Amino acid sequence: MRRNLLIIMILLIILSSFSLSQVKTIKIWAMGEEAKNLNIMAEKFTKETGIKVDVQPLPWTAAFSKILTGVAGRQVPDLAMMGTTWMAPFSAMGAFEDLGSYIAKSKVVKPENFFAGSWETVVYNNKVYGVPWYVDVRVLYYRTDMLKEVGYNKAPDTWDELYDAIKKLSQKYGVGKTGIGLSPTEAANFMPFVWQNGGDIIDKNKNILVKNPEFIEALEFYSRFFKENLVAKGGANVFVDFESGLLPMFFSGPWMVSMIKEQVPKITGKWTVSIMPKKKTRTSFVGGSNWVIFKDSKNKKEAWSFIEFMTRSENQLEWYKILRSLPALREVWNRPELSNDPITRVFREQLDDAKSTPIVPEWDKIETALGRRVEEVCLGNRDVKEGVELLYKDLQKILRK
Amino acid sequence: MGLELSSPYLILRGYLYIMKNKIWEIFLFIGPSLLLLLVFTVLPVITSLFLSITDFNAYSFLDWSKTKIIWFQNFIDVLHDDLFWKAVLNTFYAFILAYPLTIFFSLLFAFLLNREETYFKNFFRLLIYLPSVTSTIAIAVVWSWILNPKYGLLNWFLGLFGLPPQEWLSDTRWAMFVVVSLVVWKAIGPNMLLFIAGLQGIPEELYESAEIDGANRWQQFWYITLPGLRPVLLFVSVMLGIGYLQLFEEPYMLTGGGPLNSTLSIVLYLYQKGFRAFEFGYASSVALILFVMIFGLTYIQMKMRVFQD
Amino acid sequence: MRKRKVGILQQILVHGFLIIASIVTATPFFWMLITSFKTPGEIYTIPPKFIPSEITLKNYIDLFKGINFWRPLLNTLIIVTIAPPLSILLNSMAGYAFSKFRFRGRDTLIFLILATMMIPGQMTLIPAYLIVRILNMLNTYQGIIIPGLVGAGSIFFWRQFIKGIPDDLIESAKIDGANEIFIYFKIILPLSTPFFITSFVFAFIGAWNSFLWPLIVATDESMYTLPVAVSVIAGQYGENIGTILAGSTIVVFPILIVFLIAQRYVIKGIAMTGLKF
Repeated sequence: MRRNLLIIMILLIILSSFSLSQVKTIKIWAMGEEAKNLNIMAEKFTKETGIKVDVQPLPWTAAFSKILTGVAGRQVPDLAMMGTTWMAPFSAMGAFEDLGSYIAKSKVVKPENFFAGSWETVVYNNKVYGVPWYVDVRVLYYRTDMLKEVGYNKAPDTWDELYDAIKKLSQKYGVGKTGIGLSPTEAANFMPFVWQNGGDIIDKNKNILVKNPEFIEALEFYSRFFKENLVAKGGANVFVDFESGLLPMFFSGPWMVSMIKEQVPKITGKWTVSIMPKKKTRTSFVGGSNWVIFKDSKNKKEAWSFIEFMTRSENQLEWYKILRSLPALREVWNRPELSNDPITRVFREQLDDAKSTPIVPEWDKIETALGRRVEEVCLGNRDVKEGVELLYKDLQKILRK
Repeated sequence: MGLELSSPYLILRGYLYIMKNKIWEIFLFIGPSLLLLLVFTVLPVITSLFLSITDFNAYSFLDWSKTKIIWFQNFIDVLHDDLFWKAVLNTFYAFILAYPLTIFFSLLFAFLLNREETYFKNFFRLLIYLPSVTSTIAIAVVWSWILNPKYGLLNWFLGLFGLPPQEWLSDTRWAMFVVVSLVVWKAIGPNMLLFIAGLQGIPEELYESAEIDGANRWQQFWYITLPGLRPVLLFVSVMLGIGYLQLFEEPYMLTGGGPLNSTLSIVLYLYQKGFRAFEFGYASSVALILFVMIFGLTYIQMKMRVFQD
Repeated sequence: MRKRKVGILQQILVHGFLIIASIVTATPFFWMLITSFKTPGEIYTIPPKFIPSEITLKNYIDLFKGINFWRPLLNTLIIVTIAPPLSILLNSMAGYAFSKFRFRGRDTLIFLILATMMIPGQMTLIPAYLIVRILNMLNTYQGIIIPGLVGAGSIFFWRQFIKGIPDDLIESAKIDGANEIFIYFKIILPLSTPFFITSFVFAFIGAWNSFLWPLIVATDESMYTLPVAVSVIAGQYGENIGTILAGSTIVVFPILIVFLIAQRYVIKGIAMTGLKF
């Protein structure tokens, strides 16, 4: 009797250790609010597939260098969420797995299911290195009550109206007491104006386009706000200033919606969002995060099944419900939760006309040079022609190397 | 040091010279320190010199073989970068502002707090020393809040006198002044203490005999005090030179180098190139150039007649 | 000190000036402390409020619950507990050896060590980072502490100080059969107490405030020290200044208290080194 029991026990132990070795765990690096909430989706995934998920949070400020040193030291997780502007440098380093064969076999992940601007960000050198997860797009946030005071019952529709609105507000409240939110150094703020005018900074073949009239005109328009003291300055932070009226208009992404409601509830009902004002087009900046699988991962199949899981319609919807970040999958937008919300509808409309900054490994340096020269034109005494000449030379140096 | 000159000591020394220390004792007492110095000071310097002639960058991290030796190309690029020269100009501008201000105020407070007739000396001395003990980072935050154009204390205070509010940190005219003020505010304390020690080292008799000879206070100051302070002055001056050329924390926290790179210091530029853009080879050459500048400044100061005894 | 009769006017001017200087010096500390206990409503007001009508602990609570300030606090506490004693031990032992030991090449070696003092930190920063990375010490306590433990300047100052200790004490102990370890612990250390305390206080303050090196070595928030954490919070989008200043207060005020307690020794210690020109 005892001997049989012993045999059964040993068998059980062997069987259980066998199944234990079958339980795979995939490691994911994530940042910000996404990292804090990803566990909700991860638990659902584990219930479905039995694969365990280990989410490691990284702060945005340190993420780039952490990923870089991880790639260099070959200590990487299986998956990571990757900001769209970081795709190019790491793809160029060969850090990511080429997902072409996975996508060919997949029923869920197909390029046409995503927004064009978003899919752009996962392609490098004609190969696909990522799958879009969520997108963000910039729109105009504005104080409806303040704009009504100067005759605008809806948002400014064109460049001229944008300028006119803030000019009138400035005359009403005093120059310097109110202004539009524009950053002299952020590409995501400045580039949309270039695109709306039909221009760009570099083209697909890395030709430099900053001396073209479209670029120059956009820079002239942008810097005009600064030169005429129509840009908000000297405030405390976005929320306090939006409430106090120092900052009646600014451009930002979807995350601000719930933050504004939380931090300055007093102005609920007095603000809303709208699509970009028009010049030739209304093109805005699209960003977001993509999923990537590291080349050195040992669990690529399992990692891919997680990506498919997150790409499924119902999970994209659920993620929207958790964090209000915009789904990258187009069809999810037809669901009532998104199509019925007026603010979300604005983002949807803008997504049809949104671009990403060039997906090139040198983008970081390009953005720094762009920010520096734009700032010099806007805040310094640099005139526009000089600014673009210097920017041209900067970019020549960067792209030649 | 007087001990060394007395003859019994010399005899003892000669006798005990035979008794050298054992190897294990030397290893134990000096070994760890020497090892750490070698690994974390000497080795880095040699590596730095080597890095400065390569194009080591983020991609080299992944693949060492991708690094090329490019000899002096880094130095040429640095010297051709107008941003580098801007950083040099800014750093020396800060030095020219901060150096005299620091020496002036440190000396001034040293005199005031060395007076017999001053009350509450210890209290004042302590208070003026406090800023140097605090973390620059933490203090810079409250400074920028005080300098906030809309809600800050400074503009409110100026308003009481009818003066217009200024944009202290976003105005290229003021930004460097603000950075220098923070630097000086922190530096006065320790230098003041050094000067006090220096003042107290000047023998009383010199003043007394001068007074007997009919010298007035100004003459006493000029012919006794100042020369007596020469060694301290040289020390302070050299330390300030070395320290101020390495200006980093104040512009990093207050302005990030702006506005329009008007407060970009050499070390901040080095940090941006090295730890933001990961261009380590390039940044190492900047470090080498900075070292040469510091060395040069120190050398000049030590040779200046003003400081010779 | 000369005794002299000074006019009332001069006294008023001098003390008035000193009082103004004190106010200028103290204002940032006072303002930081006050603001950290104010509500956003009272912080963002014009004119500024000096006495808040409402005191709140919310900023501090946010600091520890929302942003994880516990970890940086823990990291800094660990570092200031380990680094100063270790560093003093290493530096003073070396200083003693260079001062009282006898061996060939002693004076050449100290000269070489002195030479390393001339090297600016920035030259060694990047390679030290790479070395730490190779040693797999990035983002660890060792990586933050070890490179800064030994300083040529420290060794030199200890050497100068210990030179002042009479040789006969050491010699007689040796004749009685004591070895160097015994001498170090039983003779040198007790005689160096004021210098010891001064060094400890400065090492403590330096470790508490250290910013650039931990900033570089820490690759994620688990290894941030207090000053690094404050700089991260201060750089964050839309952060309430009250919370940031609460963080600053935690970085600054403990040091003020430590310093107030130890200041007698410290000022004496500086004066001692000052006199050795």
